This record gives sequence, structure tokens and C-alpha cells, in this order.
Amino acid sequence: MKTSIAVVFCLIFFIASNVHSTEMQLGEPLTLDSVTAVSEINKHPEKYLGQRVLIEGLIIEVCAKRGCWVDIASDVPFEKIQVKVVDGEIVFPLEAKGRLARVEGIAEEINLTKEQAIEMARHRAEEQGTAFDPTTITGPVTSYRVKGLGAVIQ
Amino acid sequence: MNWRKWNFILHRDIGYLCIGLTLIYGISGIAVNHISPRFNPSYSIEKSSLYTTPLAAGAEPDMAYIRSVLAEAGETGGFKNAAFLSPGILRIFVDGNTLDVETATGQVAMEKIRRKPLLFEINYLHLNKGKGAWTWLADIYGVAICLLAITGLLMIRGKKKSRGILLSFAGFIVPIAYLFIVL
Repeated sequence: MKTSIAVVFCLIFFIASNVHSTEMQLGEPLTLDSVTAVSEINKHPEKYLGQRVLIEGLIIEVCAKRGCWVDIASDVPFEKIQVKVVDGEIVFPLEAKGRLARVEGIAEEINLTKEQAIEMARHRAEEQGTAFDPTTITGPVTSYRVKGLGAVIQ
Repeated sequence: MNWRKWNFILHRDIGYLCIGLTLIYGISGIAVNHISPRFNPSYSIEKSSLYTTPLAAGAEPDMAYIRSVLAEAGETGGFKNAAFLSPGILRIFVDGNTLDVETATGQVAMEKIRRKPLLFEINYLHLNKGKGAWTWLADIYGVAICLLAITGLLMIRGKKKSRGILLSFAGFIVPIAYLFIVL
């Protein structure tokens, strides 16, 4: 009996330990072929709002708490875009940081009042365990992100 | 064989089948219940900082510079990628570690992540991160647990009947009372 239990647990451990070591498909399968540059979405968001887009880039940050968002680096230096998914529908593993991803989703606009922006930034800093200075937010914030529906992480 | 005998057999055998997953879901349930900025149930996250040799003024960081930063940081994990987060802040990704390097000063902020043995795996199952076939298996387990509860309820009889009714009632009333208070 003890041996059987040990074997079952070892098996679970082995199988789950090998998860994420290769290409990962998360959420819905990708349906689009042509990639929209992150810089293009950031530059002309009005062209893409509400539309399904496929973006590609390096994952530079992952939500440490629930894996419910990632930041994808833009093709333009120092720019990025956030991909937000419904909690639990897709869970980005922390190991995805530094890997290339193709993400498909809906481009959306987020409008926050100054108070909401401070609260969101505070929440994000808490999640990531980083410092946050509320004085860095001086007014309402409009940002663009992609509501992620499916992703392939290489 | 009367229905009570069948009920007993079902309760016993479903119970055996559910032991493994009940332990997995129970232990993981306790762990994920306590998610907070200070507690990640699946990963150990260790932050630290150190100083390395700054990048010479006017120089562009290249693989040789990245290798030297990693060597000074004692980092031996496999190199994954590197990207500039902002002018002067280079983020280097290696397996299990992310290093943010302030190239002008050489200051490095490191964030090492490591899967918590066993907890990572059982949380992976409990939170159904893999989706696909596990969704069906978890649904079957959910149905099995419901059957276990129903067959258990039908076993209440004899001398211990009042105790069975009382404890079963408590199992319903505790969550209902809690919801009544908090909602």
C-alpha cells in the first residue's frame, strides 16, 4: 500500500515537473496568421480596438500571484503591451518570463481616473513584490492592452 | 442484495477511488486559500541585489557583457534572453532567475524563482492549469464526491441516527450561516 501511494505521487511529480519544458499552448488555439506589431497597436490603437489581433514578442513580466497577465515587449525599444486574461482561463507560468510568445486576443482601451490608476499600480506592485510611489501618477491614465484568448509560448 | 448493501458498496469503493485526489485537492486548497503578496503557493520567489562591474560609458552591452554580469552574480542557469526595459536598465533572463541590471552603476536586482516541490504539482492539478483532459477527470472527481456525500447521507440510521443527522445538518448550516453573516 505504502509503495503504491509513493509510486502514484512520484508519477504526479514527474509528469507535472515536465510541464512547460517545451512549447506551450494556452487557451484557445490561434486562428490568425498575420502578426500585428505591438508598436502599431500602441501607435494607432483606434484602428484595432475591439478587433482580434495576433501579437508576438518577448515576455518580460508575468503576474506572480495568479499568472493572469503578461507584459510583451514591443518591437520598438522600451515599449510593451499588457496581455490580460480572465483569472483561471489561462494561467501564465512564471517560467514564461524571457520566452517568446504569440498571443491572440482582443485589443482594448482602459480608462482610469487618477485614483483608479494609483490603486491599480499599487495592486500590481503588491502582486510583484515591488516598491510603488503614488506620486508617479499625476492624472487620469489611458492605456491599451490585449484581452488574451489564446497563446503559444516557445 | 438490498439497496442499502449497494449503497454501502458504492460509498466504500468511491471512497477508495477518491482518497488520492481528495488529499491533493485538500492540501492544495489550504495552500491556495492563503495566496497573498507574501505567499505564493506554487513558487518560491527570492529577491536579492548586488553590484557588478558597470558598463563602460558609451559602450553598448553585448553577449560578453551579459556573460560577465552573470559570472559576477554567480548565475549558472541557462541564458534565455535579454531586453532593455528602459534606457540603462537591461533585463537578463536565465532559467530560474531574472536580473535587472542598471548598466551605469552595475547594480543588479535579482528575482530567483523555484517551484515548490509537490505543492507546484498538486496546485497545477487543483487549479486545472493544464485544462484539456484534466477538466474531464476533475469533473468526474466532482461527481464522485457528490455521490460519496449522497451515499453517506443514506447510511444514516440505527443507534447513531441522531448524531448523523446533527453532524450532516452542521455541514450545511456552517456555510449557510457564514454567507448569511457576510453577504
